[in-house]
Amino acid sequence: MKEEQSKEKVKKFGMVIDLDKCTGCGACMVACMAENNVPFKEDESKKLDSITWLRIYKLTNGKPFPDADICYLPRPCQHCGGKGEHGHSPCVSVCPATATDYSKETGIVSQIYTRCFGCRYCMAACPYHARYFNWWDPVWPDGMEKYLSPNVSVRMRGIVEKCSFCFHRYQLAKDKAYFEGRREIEENEYQTACTQACPAGAIAFGDLNNPKHAVYELKKSSNAFRLLERLQTNPKVYYISGREWVRRAGDNYLKDEKK
Amino acid sequence: MKIDRRCFLSLGIGGAAGLALSPIPWKLADDSAIWTQMWPWTPVPADGETTYVKSACTLCPGGCGISVRKVDNRAVKIEGMEGHPVNDGGICLLGLSGLQLLYGPTRVKTPLKRAGERGEGKWVKITWEEAISEVAKKLGDLRENGESSSVACISGTDKGSVPTLFKRFLSVYGSPNFMRMPSVLDSYELALSLSFGFAAQQGFDLEKADFILSFGSGIIEGWGSPVRMIRAKSSWRESGGKTVQVEPRLSNTAAKSDKWIPINPGTEYALALGLAGVIITKSLYRNDFVKGSTSGFDKFAGLVLSAYTPDAAEKITGIKKETIEALAVDFARAAKPVAICGRGQGRAQGSLGELMAVQALNALVGNINKEGGIFAFPNPGYMAWPDYIADDIAAEGIKKERADGAGSGNFGYAKNLTNRFAETVKSGKAAVNVLFVLESNPLYSLSDTNTVKEAFKKIPFIVSFSSFMDETAINSDLILPNHVYLERYEDVYVATGLSKPVVSLSKPVVSPQFNTKHAGDVVLLIAKEMGSPVADSFPWKSYSACLEEILGGKWDKLVREGFWTDGASSTPVFKTSSGKFEFAGGFIDLAALFAPVNAEGDPKAYPLLLIPYDSMRIASGYIGDPPFAVKTVEDTVLKGKDALVEVNPATARAGGFSEGSYAILKTPKGSAKVKVHLFDGIMPGLVAMPRGLGHTAYDNYLAGKGINVNELIGTVEDPASGLDAAWGIRANLIKA
Amino acid sequence: MSTPDDKTKGVSADTGGEDAIASFKGVDEKEQGEGPGGFVILFFIIGFVASLIIGWVVFPKLLYSQKRQPVDFNHALHVETVDNGCESCHIFREDGSYAGVPKLAQCADCHQEVQGESPEEKIFVEEYVAKEKEVPWLVYSKQPDCVFFSHSVHVKLAGMDCVTCHGPIGESTSLKPYEENRLTGYSRDIWGKSMAGIKKNSWDRMKMDDCAECHEKETGRKSSVQTDKDACFVCHK
Repeated sequence: MKEEQSKEKVKKFGMVIDLDKCTGCGACMVACMAENNVPFKEDESKKLDSITWLRIYKLTNGKPFPDADICYLPRPCQHCGGKGEHGHSPCVSVCPATATDYSKETGIVSQIYTRCFGCRYCMAACPYHARYFNWWDPVWPDGMEKYLSPNVSVRMRGIVEKCSFCFHRYQLAKDKAYFEGRREIEENEYQTACTQACPAGAIAFGDLNNPKHAVYELKKSSNAFRLLERLQTNPKVYYISGREWVRRAGDNYLKDEKK
Repeated sequence: MKIDRRCFLSLGIGGAAGLALSPIPWKLADDSAIWTQMWPWTPVPADGETTYVKSACTLCPGGCGISVRKVDNRAVKIEGMEGHPVNDGGICLLGLSGLQLLYGPTRVKTPLKRAGERGEGKWVKITWEEAISEVAKKLGDLRENGESSSVACISGTDKGSVPTLFKRFLSVYGSPNFMRMPSVLDSYELALSLSFGFAAQQGFDLEKADFILSFGSGIIEGWGSPVRMIRAKSSWRESGGKTVQVEPRLSNTAAKSDKWIPINPGTEYALALGLAGVIITKSLYRNDFVKGSTSGFDKFAGLVLSAYTPDAAEKITGIKKETIEALAVDFARAAKPVAICGRGQGRAQGSLGELMAVQALNALVGNINKEGGIFAFPNPGYMAWPDYIADDIAAEGIKKERADGAGSGNFGYAKNLTNRFAETVKSGKAAVNVLFVLESNPLYSLSDTNTVKEAFKKIPFIVSFSSFMDETAINSDLILPNHVYLERYEDVYVATGLSKPVVSLSKPVVSPQFNTKHAGDVVLLIAKEMGSPVADSFPWKSYSACLEEILGGKWDKLVREGFWTDGASSTPVFKTSSGKFEFAGGFIDLAALFAPVNAEGDPKAYPLLLIPYDSMRIASGYIGDPPFAVKTVEDTVLKGKDALVEVNPATARAGGFSEGSYAILKTPKGSAKVKVHLFDGIMPGLVAMPRGLGHTAYDNYLAGKGINVNELIGTVEDPASGLDAAWGIRANLIKA
Repeated sequence: MSTPDDKTKGVSADTGGEDAIASFKGVDEKEQGEGPGGFVILFFIIGFVASLIIGWVVFPKLLYSQKRQPVDFNHALHVETVDNGCESCHIFREDGSYAGVPKLAQCADCHQEVQGESPEEKIFVEEYVAKEKEVPWLVYSKQPDCVFFSHSVHVKLAGMDCVTCHGPIGESTSLKPYEENRLTGYSRDIWGKSMAGIKKNSWDRMKMDDCAECHEKETGRKSSVQTDKDACFVCHK
């Protein structure tokens, strides 16, 4: 059996988001909330405590009218591989509770809600603000808990949560494949909820190691970049933009510094 | 020997030692750790068998196919239907939030009759039998008194079988007053009937176009069928199609366009005419098409060449004449150029002149009725209705003038002028005794909310068919709650701009959650209760039987695949008296058609201009934004309960405002306390505010947040058509 | 600096000290006079034994509530009559998910009417089949909500036997009482029957460490950066 297992290829799931296609419509944000039982409260305008695993940021080029420009940037968890891809992502390295973990098999950074005790070290460590703390117990208006999905555990007060690359979809896809006697799943069998919903087709998701997957080529685009690359967090989310000011906005550059 | 203190101590130590060797501490430590991980009040969603139901979304006129995931009997997620001709798997955030509406707290759970004053929120529950007999009796009495034409209905759309049943009911009953909520579709339909010569809808083969000139249309912000348009936008990125956005504010569409041309608000018509002038001057128009298939060209050319020279256009629009000339050349030289209009999502009608000017551009480049161009196709013929029987009262009633004035007097061409309805009722020009409100929320979404409120006060009996406790439902006398779309059968016709007609079928994904009834069934029951002759035209046992009959052979395909589409593209025909495309649309005085539309208000008292804008994240139609959607609204648009308005930093500085400072926004129609948000992407002198906020009804996730821009904006009647030509209103920002 | 007050306090403290020494000596004398107390040991034993009894006998009874299954099902009888073993009734769905305990409709295929003379079957048919009411079975092996357990990978891919985790339940003629942990709401089978946590058979306990141990042994995967074992996201959701 050990031998059989080793036949499974090591995967590195990742995303390539085309910012020139992204319209900032917000469908990915809601697809994520609906897929992952994300709670909501009466006032969500305090964005610091508003739980949005995938959040769209509005970037501006800072120029006055009529040279102003805007661009939207959807930010899921970046699933950092850490320096040298050893899985020492900023959050995994600091978690004292083994609640967040990096899988060398999928490259996905997991968050185990029942292990988390809410110290929020990981939130401090994450340079992308991708992690959210449950300051309150989730409350659904009477009757609305009917739409909750059994595929994702409902979180409670006092713990940290974040994007999982819809890991449950991977589990379900594997279940189907194994049941049908297949060992591997196809690219289209495991897609995140945001990728599936995006009306613009701006998000591509797949195995960055697999040359047959769309993301394999897309990430090589000369317009591709990752967020805060200089921190060497090695994120698995790539962005594409034809606009230079957008690419520069992906990192902290000095004014006269060349990218 | 004596039992003393030490013995008890010893007992305790023994007990403690025993305890340590028993499972109590270790097991309890483990169990209580587990207990703290799983508070009993944290819901655990029940697992079960996963199935998918194909259906259609009705939350906006976009007509997307949806696939609803169910776990046993619960609907848990809405996804886009793959392979559907409109959205092919994509879906917008409103569609994704649908289950919050289905299971949400704002549903009307049973028929309600008003108990207190209107709007007070006091209701008594009544049975469906009582409700239907009350309506039928009221209608019967009016009909006997010869007042059948004082019954009106406002519907969100006039397409599809349920609105058609309501219209049919009014016709048989004896009233011409079936109205649909105003939108740019009214202007498109009116323009088509003038220039193409028949009642038609405009289709755009945008995916195949290679140059899209948009006069403020929110291509990726909900114009037309929203998901289809966003997909089209992405397809241009691959095909190399270019987009040019003309509007005063850097909308998302403008930001994503290849070129954004800021323009003085309300002057889009002048730019279109200026471009036409350049195209004609430089002989860039398609001569074969213009010569062979159009009429009125000379007259049109005469006007634009004299009154809309590049210099004149620059003066009106604020766009440099070099830019205008270059744009005209790019547009005319493109292989498949298309010009579109309808600001934002097209919620406002706009002036007929503006539409005719944009349509003239399409005619000049000859992209009418061909691939990558625009089409006119007749109103949907997918339903086969049996003829109805109109008795004398009905025949008499239906000939009366409509409450909104459409189809008579100055507005002979217009089909719907619902924008005028509130004013005519308020001023007493039209008497309405009963108003049905179907899948719309006029008290919130019509411009000039105060006038609408006054008008509603004059209507003695208002019946709402709303599924939700919206503003109109709260201010009605009787609520007959409809099933929501996830609980009912209904045909969904895409009314907005596809290149070919698509009909989808909305199916009951779950059984009705409350004591609601399909609005189609309620009409049939009211007709039955009224008896002959009205009932004779409604022979069906139920709405679903009716739907199955009128859809005929398409029913099976719709049930099986979820959608039906007419493969055959419409043939290029013009049914005008000349048999050609009419540039002038029968207008003798072209200068009157292309008259400028000024914003309401005195420029001295109101030095600024307020323009509304649309966002995909804020639903502004019949449906109020569900909690998920509200959550996505940026804190530069809504902060707590405060609305933020966009102002150019220069304008803000001049008024003494900085980011986040409070201000009173005053217009001739009203005033509101707002916060200022500095935005470099908006023209100086403007104040921009989103549609869809400021609800007073619905739940705490939506109610009381922001300002309803309709309260601040009035209507401006287009003298040529009666349409509402308002694109904004004069305004002032005063320090709060 | 000392004040008159401090001095007074100092004196009285000294006196107190002498008293304490005196009384201590007194106790000592008593003790010597009467010899070591047998009661002390006796009380120790009483305390020790009592808490052991409370811990091992009373505590489990208090911690777990006992519930009867709604219908006493005879697995052995059914296994004899079906062709495909456990999977005849405990089926996989087409999407690879595992249906678990059969739904009423499945049972009703055969049990539309009472077939034998068993009073339990009569209850089943009359109370549930006739009324079309799902049987509220209590599932011994139910894992908490945070667990994603895939039957597909264990049974279909790894070819594991049902008995490995569920024990010889197929041979049982009667359903044992369902014991629910009053604190956590878990079935007792997760912790195991043995309060000490002693595990004789592979199916005796199904806590996280048991899963992890088997995963380590059988798959050898060390994909978790944190634990160097199998990744957390394999079984957690």
